[in-house]
Amino acid sequence: MLTAIVLVPFVGAVALMVRRDWDERMARTIAIATSAIPLVLLAAVWVRFDTGSRNRFQLVEEVSWIPTLDAGWRLGVDGISLAVASMSAVVFVAAACFPVDTRGRARQYYSWILFLEAVSIGLFLSLDLLLFYVFFDLNLVGMYFLIGRWGHSEARRAALKFFVFTLTGSLAMLLAILGLFLASEPRTFDMAAIIDSQPLVSGAAATAVFFGLVFGLAVKTPLVPVHTWLPPAHVDAPAPGSAILAAVLLKMGTYGLVRLPLQMMRETFQRYAVVLAIVAVVSVVYGALVAFGQRNLKARIAYTSINHMGYTVLGIAAAGALASGEESARRLALTGATLEMVAHGLITGALFLVSGAFWSRGEEYDLDAYGGLAGRAPVLAAATSLAAFASLGLPGLAGFVAEFQIFVGTLSVYPVLAALALIGVLVTAALFLQMLQMLFFGGLPRRWARFRDLTGAEIVALALLLVLVVVIGVYPSWVIDLIDASSRLLVAAM
Amino acid sequence: MPVAGGAALWSLQPLRSGRPPIKRPILATLSAAMLAATIALAVWSAFAPSSSSLRWGPHLTLTMGADDLSRIVSVLVAVIALPIVAWAAVHEAEEGLLRLVSLLVAFVGAMQLLALSRDLLTLFVGWELVSFFSWALIAHRWRESDVPAAAAHAFNATRAGGVGLLVAAGAVFTQTGSLQISRLSELEGAWLHAAAAGIIAAAAAKSAQLPFAPWLYSAMAGPTSVSALLHAATMVAAGAYLLARVLPLLEPAGWVGPALMAIGLATALVGGAAASFQTHIKKLLAASTSAHYGLMLVAIGAGFSQTAVAHLVSHAAFKALLFLVAGAAIAAVGSEQLSRMRLGGTLPVVAAVGLVGALATAGVPPLGGAWTKERAVAAAAHASLWAGALGIVAGGLSALYSSRFYFLVFGRGGTSRPRLRPRRVEVASLGLLAAISLGLGALWLPIVQREASDLVPGTWPSPAVWETVASLVAVAAGLAAGAWFASLAGSSIPFTERVADWFGLPAVVDRWLVTPFVSLCTRLSVIDDRVVDAGARGIAGMGLAASGFLARSDRRVVDAGVRGVAAAAQWLARVFSRFGELGFDGLVEGTARAVGAAATRVRAVAPAAAHRSYLVVGAGILVLIAVSAVWR
Repeated sequence: MLTAIVLVPFVGAVALMVRRDWDERMARTIAIATSAIPLVLLAAVWVRFDTGSRNRFQLVEEVSWIPTLDAGWRLGVDGISLAVASMSAVVFVAAACFPVDTRGRARQYYSWILFLEAVSIGLFLSLDLLLFYVFFDLNLVGMYFLIGRWGHSEARRAALKFFVFTLTGSLAMLLAILGLFLASEPRTFDMAAIIDSQPLVSGAAATAVFFGLVFGLAVKTPLVPVHTWLPPAHVDAPAPGSAILAAVLLKMGTYGLVRLPLQMMRETFQRYAVVLAIVAVVSVVYGALVAFGQRNLKARIAYTSINHMGYTVLGIAAAGALASGEESARRLALTGATLEMVAHGLITGALFLVSGAFWSRGEEYDLDAYGGLAGRAPVLAAATSLAAFASLGLPGLAGFVAEFQIFVGTLSVYPVLAALALIGVLVTAALFLQMLQMLFFGGLPRRWARFRDLTGAEIVALALLLVLVVVIGVYPSWVIDLIDASSRLLVAAM
Repeated sequence: MPVAGGAALWSLQPLRSGRPPIKRPILATLSAAMLAATIALAVWSAFAPSSSSLRWGPHLTLTMGADDLSRIVSVLVAVIALPIVAWAAVHEAEEGLLRLVSLLVAFVGAMQLLALSRDLLTLFVGWELVSFFSWALIAHRWRESDVPAAAAHAFNATRAGGVGLLVAAGAVFTQTGSLQISRLSELEGAWLHAAAAGIIAAAAAKSAQLPFAPWLYSAMAGPTSVSALLHAATMVAAGAYLLARVLPLLEPAGWVGPALMAIGLATALVGGAAASFQTHIKKLLAASTSAHYGLMLVAIGAGFSQTAVAHLVSHAAFKALLFLVAGAAIAAVGSEQLSRMRLGGTLPVVAAVGLVGALATAGVPPLGGAWTKERAVAAAAHASLWAGALGIVAGGLSALYSSRFYFLVFGRGGTSRPRLRPRRVEVASLGLLAAISLGLGALWLPIVQREASDLVPGTWPSPAVWETVASLVAVAAGLAAGAWFASLAGSSIPFTERVADWFGLPAVVDRWLVTPFVSLCTRLSVIDDRVVDAGARGIAGMGLAASGFLARSDRRVVDAGVRGVAAAAQWLARVFSRFGELGFDGLVEGTARAVGAAATRVRAVAPAAAHRSYLVVGAGILVLIAVSAVWR
């Protein structure tokens, strides 16, 4: 079943690429229908998943690929990957739904969206290091073309920067993965086997491999100071591309942090967890401050991503820290960090789709150019406000549930760092309220006198994300229990 | 959620209940009915002890339940909200009226959640939701340019303190593995101090105490009914209520009581002075609110939480009343400036209830407000003589601005006839609140005091004779001075503007906090664009030479990163070629050339062409995988 989840959108992508006779409407319908299949299948996986199980991974599927290297098509899920993969599937459906100017190349556009869906979900489900790496890099390719061909302004420059930057990161990660492979005995790319054997425990090799992994994943996350590819990539990408980038691609960094360094190199992680935590707090505070300084709608949202991913990494660092007797706090931090991945994906995905609505109406991201739109576009105003308040951590919405757990969990482990991270909470509140104010309140500039409210398709795409934001915010136990089933095992193993 | 939670959910439900053209009387009746039901539920849960919970996860469960203090506040909130919301449905402007009323009702629900919370998670949820509703309500007139910023000020200022609650929650979780409020008593050492500081910061911000007080002026940008609800029973009340509940648990920290008394007294005095010179009718009441919550904090700090809650109740009644009176006066003259009022005898009913409210605020016996204020002063004196003396001065100031308020609003000498007269529902609301204020005068009777003690366990601080005398003298002097101040209105006195504006505190905050913060952010965003990014590009270039090269290259260089890699590779090659005899010259050269060439190629390949080749590569890999998967 997991294999089908990866292959269905891929087959859809290929079909869209080769069927020249499909017009835009047809391509769109096929894309939406195909993108929804993994979501349905993941829901079925969710039902079959046993939260009480003591197994690290469930529903494992394994096919030998390169026997000499013991690399294989290994797929499987735990609570963490299932939660993140499901969130990704939702975001892809929303991204496919969201109307966008495909510049006469609808088939290609939707083909790349489906291709990205296949390789993204494939990454979260893969239990093989080599496969993980292949998916990791294929993502770059898909996103490169999505930004480069359907972006605006300096799209090609942004796409190239994104590509070179993240490729550097993934090269470091490749070397580190090879290091893990070479150290494993017998040599294997099987994640479960490496997690069990913990091949690299100490010494220079362990440190080098650890930092190779962390560097590669930090670029992807991104953490300060290797974040500068993110804002241009976001600003110039088409709205659904931004949504996918923020919601799904960034999660590969944080998900990878859990799966690779945290799980496969426990002791090294414990030794350097505090370094990671410090970098995370710097990202939290710095991301928020710089976001406040942005006048460009999309750049502002992009920098809040850095802030939120900082919370996630802080939670992960706390979960893997060397601390005795804080097990429940570390478990809380890890569950919170994973939920933050889900919440950030849904919320920031929605925010970027909203910014796409602004672009398609005004071809303008400058916040100063807008104002007073609450009267002209009440639905847009309501959706944006909901997403903004979710992002600043208002209780009753998904972001709060995640951040509360991260803070409470982290405070036990790193009290000072957690307290510093609270600055980020204050600044994000200020910057989102200011953003709402600049977009929707005050007088309406004459330029926008004919500003349209959200259309049906836009509302559907946004509703898909925002309904989940509210449901998780009010009644999150169904997803927390799923994640916690794995974070319990994971923290207990530390 | 059953019983107790029902109160909250019941009132949350009606959001968006009707269509825009809903008639005012229907809206008023509907909202009043909903709040009446909330009152019934609150009373029911107050007398039938119960609790309810909602599980979020293994460590997170939201629990609500009524106990001694929470049931009083729960009932109070609903009782005070009823006349205010009915008044709003009839009085406020037509535009967005339904939104306003729905939000007001939902606001009550959020406050119920806060009041009935038993754990810090639920408390924080309620706490922030109350902030959110305040924001939405203050920003009600969003078309006006200053209003949304004022709403944001209120939200940001209260959140600045509110994060303290997160610290407290983390501390309790760390030490006890639970989030129950009652477990605060088990804290020790640094965690205890951190939790206490966090809670005090949160409460001081919410209750508009120094140094957070000025946000309450900004909150005046909202409609009058919003101000009334905000001050009397919801937002601002939350801080004092929380402290009254948890202070006994934090007592082991030692410094908490004195700190609260210091904050409370400072706010009571500064706020009293600010109100005495304020020329804006609602801001006068706002400063007065801060001052009265200051007195509550003093009582809590002195160890008499029961007294503070009593004053919370009487303050809720008279402050809600005064705000609605102010709303009627503003509607009558079309201005919020006190100097433009002087309604004389034109609105006799409003003047009469206004007199009740003003006398209660001033602390004139036999009104209930007087009794609770005297007890708060006695509590202060119980802790220290100085505190008692300062409390008496604060009481005098309260009398001063109350009488000034009354004489400025209802004094004779105004020329114009009122533009608008209150409608029947408005008068009924005013009458109900005035009746509550008058009814609370029963607190002077010993038998009622005993009943009240049964409701909330605790002892009343008993004032010494000299205190009562001094206090009454201060009140009398304040009343007279207020009348005199009112007669001076119009003539400008130096410094008064600054005193009225919290002695210039907002300007200080703006100059030393907000402006530097904004410029820091702006600068950081420039630095991030130029320096950090360049640094990252430099790292991509793997060396100082590349970094120098990139610093010179500007935005016009479309692909500095790629060139940087190439340049760095060449640089590396040059450096290493000097050590040719070491033997890996050829290797390095070769690598460098390869990297350089590859970089050039990446740049040269047009995306369209690359697009196809990458797709083929990607497709090939996936097909291989798929085939091997199916093969088996």
